[in-house]
Amino acid sequence: METQSIVSVADAITAASAAYDALAELAEDVEDEWSYVTDLADAWRERLAEVADARGHEPAGDGVAEAVAILSAEVGAIDDPHRAIDWLSTFPQVLLVAVGENP
Amino acid sequence: MRFQDAAPDARAVVYAGIQADPLVARAATLLADASLEQRILARAAMNGMSTDPVVWRSMFPRLFGPSNGAGPERDRSEAILEVALAVAERGEQVRSQVRGAIVESLTELLVRRRSGIAAPGPSGATVRRERRILFDGVRAEIHPYDVTVEAPGASEAIDCKWGARGINADVLHQLDDARTHAADEDESLAASLVVFDARRSCDVRLARQTAPHERTRIVSLETLDELAR
Repeated sequence: METQSIVSVADAITAASAAYDALAELAEDVEDEWSYVTDLADAWRERLAEVADARGHEPAGDGVAEAVAILSAEVGAIDDPHRAIDWLSTFPQVLLVAVGENP
Repeated sequence: MRFQDAAPDARAVVYAGIQADPLVARAATLLADASLEQRILARAAMNGMSTDPVVWRSMFPRLFGPSNGAGPERDRSEAILEVALAVAERGEQVRSQVRGAIVESLTELLVRRRSGIAAPGPSGATVRRERRILFDGVRAEIHPYDVTVEAPGASEAIDCKWGARGINADVLHQLDDARTHAADEDESLAASLVVFDARRSCDVRLARQTAPHERTRIVSLETLDELAR
């Protein structure tokens, strides 16, 4: 989904998912942490799905489309898998507060 | 149970220099009164790739958007962003150390807000950094605790981590061992682990740990203000 077409909270979460998936793939390069990385990403995907189910139809809010685009670009610039692990936690927190949710 | 300053070894000397960095104190002071969203901003920007403030203002529309105009909260968000980017602009290794020192300093500031600590008397509690805890007949741990509350009947050992990934068997064992050794001496010692990360991430990490942690209080990004109570 293109970020320009973000209208609702569900749109914002869907648009961010590709960047999050790529981040998780990079983080999996840290072999010793593979299980943690997959569990962590699954836990946050579950939380994002909960929000999409509960509030997905609501308007995304001012600035959210741009926030998702910039957040996705920011993590797209990460090339260190260790930093990617840290951002696997940070990314959904930033996304959730952008749409008015507590993590 | 006795508290003791950590040995001034090479690590301690280097780390004392980092803790004394004015940037650490400024960040901790700002974060002590910050909202959850402002703390998430700090966490993101301190470990981000971009150091352009425009990027971060756009990423946090509820902090920097038109609905949050001029005022003390907007000023605090700007100040937190400025200090977070100053941390990010340090080299990779240094900024990792500075982030850790900020979490410790923030923890100390919040703990000092507890009643009974703010105005210490003869029997009042003291808050210290980098202290070891000694027990009769027990070999002392090598690593000091990041923050300690030293008070008769209400002591606490606190370790701090930047992220959930920092939760490991060593820190969980050390905290739980201190608590149980204190109990063996009929002393009360609370054990806490402060993690500058979301509770959900901490829970994922903890689920993988076999080290005892059921009686260690986990303080996450969402509950930092509980340190002051």
